[in-house]
Amino acid sequence: MAPSTSDAVVELHGAYKTYRLGAHVIPALQGVDLSVQRGELLALTGPSGSGKSTLLNLCGLIDTPDRGSIVLGGQVVDGLSEVQRTLLRRDALGFVFQSFNLVPVMTVAENVDYPLFIAGVPTAERRQRVAAQLEAVGLQDHALHRPDALSGGQRQRVAIARALVKRPKLVIADEPTASLDSHTADQVLLLMRERGHAEGAAFVIATHDSRLTGRCDRVLTLQDGKLISNR
Amino acid sequence: MNLMWLKFALQNTLRNRRRSLVTVAIAALGTASILLAGGFALFTYESLAEASARESGHLVLGQPDHFTREEDTPLQWGLDHAAELRTRLMAEPEVRAVLPRVAFSGLISNGDKSVVMVGLGVEPDAEFSVKGPFLTVKAGAVLGSGASAPEVMLGEPLARNIKATPGSSVTLLASTTDGALNAMDVTVKAVFSTGIPEVDKRLIYTDITTAQNLLNTRKVSSLGVFLSRMEHTPTLQQRLAAANPALTVQTWEEQAVFYRAVRDLYNRIFGALGLIIAVIVVFVVTNAMSMAVIERTREIGTLRALGTLPHQLLTTLSLEGMVLGGVGGVLGAAIAMAVSVTLLLMPIDMPPPPGRSVGYPLNITLDPLMVLVTLLTMVALTMLASAWVARKTVNLSVVDALAHT
Repeated sequence: MAPSTSDAVVELHGAYKTYRLGAHVIPALQGVDLSVQRGELLALTGPSGSGKSTLLNLCGLIDTPDRGSIVLGGQVVDGLSEVQRTLLRRDALGFVFQSFNLVPVMTVAENVDYPLFIAGVPTAERRQRVAAQLEAVGLQDHALHRPDALSGGQRQRVAIARALVKRPKLVIADEPTASLDSHTADQVLLLMRERGHAEGAAFVIATHDSRLTGRCDRVLTLQDGKLISNR
Repeated sequence: MNLMWLKFALQNTLRNRRRSLVTVAIAALGTASILLAGGFALFTYESLAEASARESGHLVLGQPDHFTREEDTPLQWGLDHAAELRTRLMAEPEVRAVLPRVAFSGLISNGDKSVVMVGLGVEPDAEFSVKGPFLTVKAGAVLGSGASAPEVMLGEPLARNIKATPGSSVTLLASTTDGALNAMDVTVKAVFSTGIPEVDKRLIYTDITTAQNLLNTRKVSSLGVFLSRMEHTPTLQQRLAAANPALTVQTWEEQAVFYRAVRDLYNRIFGALGLIIAVIVVFVVTNAMSMAVIERTREIGTLRALGTLPHQLLTTLSLEGMVLGGVGGVLGAAIAMAVSVTLLLMPIDMPPPPGRSVGYPLNITLDPLMVLVTLLTMVALTMLASAWVARKTVNLSVVDALAHT
């Protein structure tokens, strides 16, 4: 296993992952090494089935590799229980999903507040941080609205606020602009870049969108579960 | 428990209002059914208990063999010195009245026809004032103390059988305590009905002195002790039994065979009914929560990805069940109370039960403890049902949950 670099938010060392579909064994990742630096905007590209989502899942600790090692913020997470990984996600990771995945019965403010609530942050501090995040994404006037009253772009901004409210080291974004028109997608990407730098959070973004990759600090290309390009 | 989980649960119950409404309605109807059935049973028990205690007294004192063995001669197991014992009993603070009773049997004849009779010798004034109207006088007037000649009251079918009416002269024939046969002419004072035709066919009432004279004794069969409050029965029973070790002190409940039989029967019937209703409610809630959880699998995956622990999700989903069951339960209790009050204001008469000739009002007794237990049971069952259906989904792998469509 290669030594951990001091500014690395997450590292994968020789990660392998296979899936079984009936009698077929599908190699999703084959010996991938990855290091994401603090505050970095990293794009993952590749055709469908190349292993982008699998790699994101491993970085986001919502899946475990069959072989290999993951280091998050200097801590080796191999062998951690599901509860321990859940608590790590709660404290150190943010997520932005393609379909926004906001809770429809909660208001915008409640959605953004949720990660702080489950982390046990005191109420007064939660209110202050939620208000700050909503203002940062330009949705302070929509705090009491439900997600179904917002446009796609606004919902994704709420999701970004939710991901960043807990000041994570790393935000995992799986096709965050796929459901948005090009203009909105551009705005969302700029927001992620700006907010990521402001909060010091690294973004790992799986995307097909070439406009998005052009705006990232680094682009990794996957094919058939292997890293074929890192630029 | 953080109130935010409860708020989340409340918000989730409003996602599919129609489904939640149906679930609440079923829970309400289930709760109302259990309370109404239980309340009817409770009212029946209370009525029967009151009637039983009124009939025999809250406590009955007698010789031990009086309760366990058949007599070879009348009053073989009767009480001597009943007056003295009665005076001692009346000194107890809880005792309202002590009524002696002489039980006997024999024949009653109108001169042409003789039929079997079962007689009770009582102190008429005390008996009817303490017990209240426990029988219906169909003709004539109730017995009174101090009559110049022996008098009897006859059950209505018995009177009809021997063609006796108030004022008629009939003859009582019975064995005395020393085995001889004795006959006594008496006058019919009244014709009555107890509401139990099979009893009325044989029963006669006379004053205790007439009965003792007929049987040639000064003994009584037993003493019925009437208390100011039924709740004093067990404590006084223990005290009297300790003070009178040679006697047996039975409670009204030990005497009330019919009450115990009805209670056991109703407990089984309504217990089974309650169980069926509870199962139905659990099925409905389980079904509703199953659909809700399946629909929200991806959302559950999102919340897990954000760092929510499975037990936290189970908590909020259980709370959803609690809200549905709780609201339904409270509504059901309100329905039951409304029905109970309506029946008080607009009485409905039940038909006479088997063996009786008189019906009784349909009333529901809603005991606060019964309501509370029913509500808590409903809430607990719906919470458990919700947790049960949710447990698999909240423990699903996050990847699989997020991929769910």
